[in-house]
Amino acid sequence: MSPTTAVLEATVEVTTWVTKLVGGDGTGSRVFVERIAPGDTVRQVLRRCSARFPQLDAALWIPTRTELGEHIEVLVDDAVLGVVHDLDSPLKGGERITLLGQFMGG
Amino acid sequence: MSPTATLRRTKKTSAAVTPAPAGYAGKLLRVNLSTSKTWTEPWGPDDMRECLGGVGLGAKILYEEVGPKVHWDHPDNRLVLATGPLAGLPVWGTGGLTVVTRGALTDGATSTQANGFFGACLKYSGYDAIVIQGQAKKLSYLYVNDDTVEIRDAGHLAGKDTWETQQALEAEHGLSGHRMSVYGIGPAGEHLVRFAAIHGDYGHVASKNGCGAVMGKKKLKAVCIVRGTKALRAHDARGLMQAADDIAHDLKTDPSTSTLYNYGTLPGVLNLSKLGVLPIKNYTTNVTGMDMSEWEPVKLREGFDHRGHQCSACGMRHCHIQVIRKGPHAGERVDEPEYEGWSGAGWTIGLTDKDSITWLNTRIDRACVDVNEFGWVCGWVMECMEKGYLTEQQVGFRLNWGDVEGANRLLRMISHREGFGDVLAEGVKRASEKVGGEAARCAVYTMKGASPRGHDHRGRWDEMLDTCTSSNGTMESANPTFPTEIGQPARIQPFDGEQVARLTGGILGRRHFEDSLGGCSFTFRTRIENLARALSAATGWTYRLEDALRFGRRTAAILRTFNLRCGIGPEVEYPSERYGSQPVDGPAKEHDVMKQWDRMLDVWYETVGYDRATGKPTPETLAKLGLDALSKELWKGGRAGKR
Repeated sequence: MSPTTAVLEATVEVTTWVTKLVGGDGTGSRVFVERIAPGDTVRQVLRRCSARFPQLDAALWIPTRTELGEHIEVLVDDAVLGVVHDLDSPLKGGERITLLGQFMGG
Repeated sequence: MSPTATLRRTKKTSAAVTPAPAGYAGKLLRVNLSTSKTWTEPWGPDDMRECLGGVGLGAKILYEEVGPKVHWDHPDNRLVLATGPLAGLPVWGTGGLTVVTRGALTDGATSTQANGFFGACLKYSGYDAIVIQGQAKKLSYLYVNDDTVEIRDAGHLAGKDTWETQQALEAEHGLSGHRMSVYGIGPAGEHLVRFAAIHGDYGHVASKNGCGAVMGKKKLKAVCIVRGTKALRAHDARGLMQAADDIAHDLKTDPSTSTLYNYGTLPGVLNLSKLGVLPIKNYTTNVTGMDMSEWEPVKLREGFDHRGHQCSACGMRHCHIQVIRKGPHAGERVDEPEYEGWSGAGWTIGLTDKDSITWLNTRIDRACVDVNEFGWVCGWVMECMEKGYLTEQQVGFRLNWGDVEGANRLLRMISHREGFGDVLAEGVKRASEKVGGEAARCAVYTMKGASPRGHDHRGRWDEMLDTCTSSNGTMESANPTFPTEIGQPARIQPFDGEQVARLTGGILGRRHFEDSLGGCSFTFRTRIENLARALSAATGWTYRLEDALRFGRRTAAILRTFNLRCGIGPEVEYPSERYGSQPVDGPAKEHDVMKQWDRMLDVWYETVGYDRATGKPTPETLAKLGLDALSKELWKGGRAGKR
């Protein structure tokens, strides 16, 4: 495979109660490997992933789907969104995007 | 002391003849332990609308009745046990109790909540709050059964832990379960441990700022309330049920709260570990070093034989009593730890055996100290011994990370002020300052004298800022709950100090509103609009989101003015060296909060409308909140103004 046609991937790891929104039982995690094209952003990858799961789509984004809602934390390579990456940061491939349910309590 | 002191007749005042709004009992129960007198005091609809109950009412009483020279251990200090207008009504978790006093750790205002049945029993007995002053000549307990109010001898309860005290009083009165609520202190409160707590109904703890030491100083072992027989009505019963149903429905079905509904605060361990916010070994690391899937809430619960232990009118699957299955304490009945228990009795002290944590957590509740402060004290001793900053000779024995029996031994030493436990009983700030040297640099606390809850706030700057600026001895704004409802952003960059400070200041007040209604902060994890609807239906008022926020800001300003009067101002609004240090590993390791601290304070002060230099709410802020009387005290030469 030539470098120009190499397939890049990022993983989306869905954890805690968020797994219920992708067919899980609220425990463990579900990992989805997402193919990405050069220049794809965190937003694009999340959009593609959530488009396959209507419940996740509704919970992850605000109703206009323009911004993230308030109850799911997004981490890229263990750093909360905003620290290193933001929604429009391009991905290089190999990143791990984690969806972590907000913890209300304690 | 008369064992049969009974209620004085209600004074006939204009307030007395004005009927209380629905939802209220309409009376405060006053108790003077020095004179053994008890009496009732009516409070009028205007005060109810202005103060609601809980922390709103407590803040007003503290402000009006406790002067600057009345320190936490002075007999004239007030211990306010208040509930609110929703208590006793069919909204989930409405057995709530708010304890307001001048606390022992900061010697400033305290507001700390617990649940169970106390608030409902109190309302059914005809009271919205109990206000306790004075000091008994010997250990006593307060017995309330409708109009019968008696200060009784508690000599037979001396030295008993909180569960033993409740069991003894249940046996004495032939009542148990939902028919009587008991809130009391353990040995720690009797020995004036500065982080002693007040515990009730097997597993509920008003834990912050040494409120148990205040109770101990008053020689009040317990307050025992029989579920009364007084009528309690809602203005609009159907509207109240509709609001209650909506709150319950949201808790059950909203993805973000459904785990709270099912598992209470258990999910915190796993979640916070992923964010680097789980406090591990006294802030020496943020890496758990183990498979955290074993800490999923379902596994934490299923590891024990358990049954539900719900509070008044609560349908949550949150509180549980459980039995330890294995190990040296197999067969013992314990309370399922909250997240704070897993943290303070576990991770903070390097203890990760779940059976041991649950056991120690209940020992802490029974001795009755704040589990968070215990974690900071015990973790500090463990770290200092590991590093040689404290010796076996000083402490009395060798205490290593994760040593549960050693931790329990330390707990006993603290709660009885034995040996080095007498030093530790002063709390981690004072103890570390007394020991000094390198040991002092390892302690986690705020310069006000309180300490954080069971989180590593170096990855959660909003909570650190809140803890350091708060006027109630713990977090005052607490976690953002549906922040967009009040115009705050859905998310912020957690290491951008300005964003953090704007959010922390922006949500100030919501928690005060919640804590004034007489319910549980977990069942109230709903939109303010729902709570305001429930309040409106209960009382007949028209109460809206903006009323709730204004009320909360008002209460915060009153507590702050009280603290300024006590000499607690902006000069102590920062973390200890360790608390504000940069993590050595984990997700927050690149981020140093102290580099942005001053700017965070600037923005927070601007956001809440307080004066940065003096800490005072500005005259404009006070005018907006309708607190002109405070303006006079703060800005025109009054007691809190001399700064």
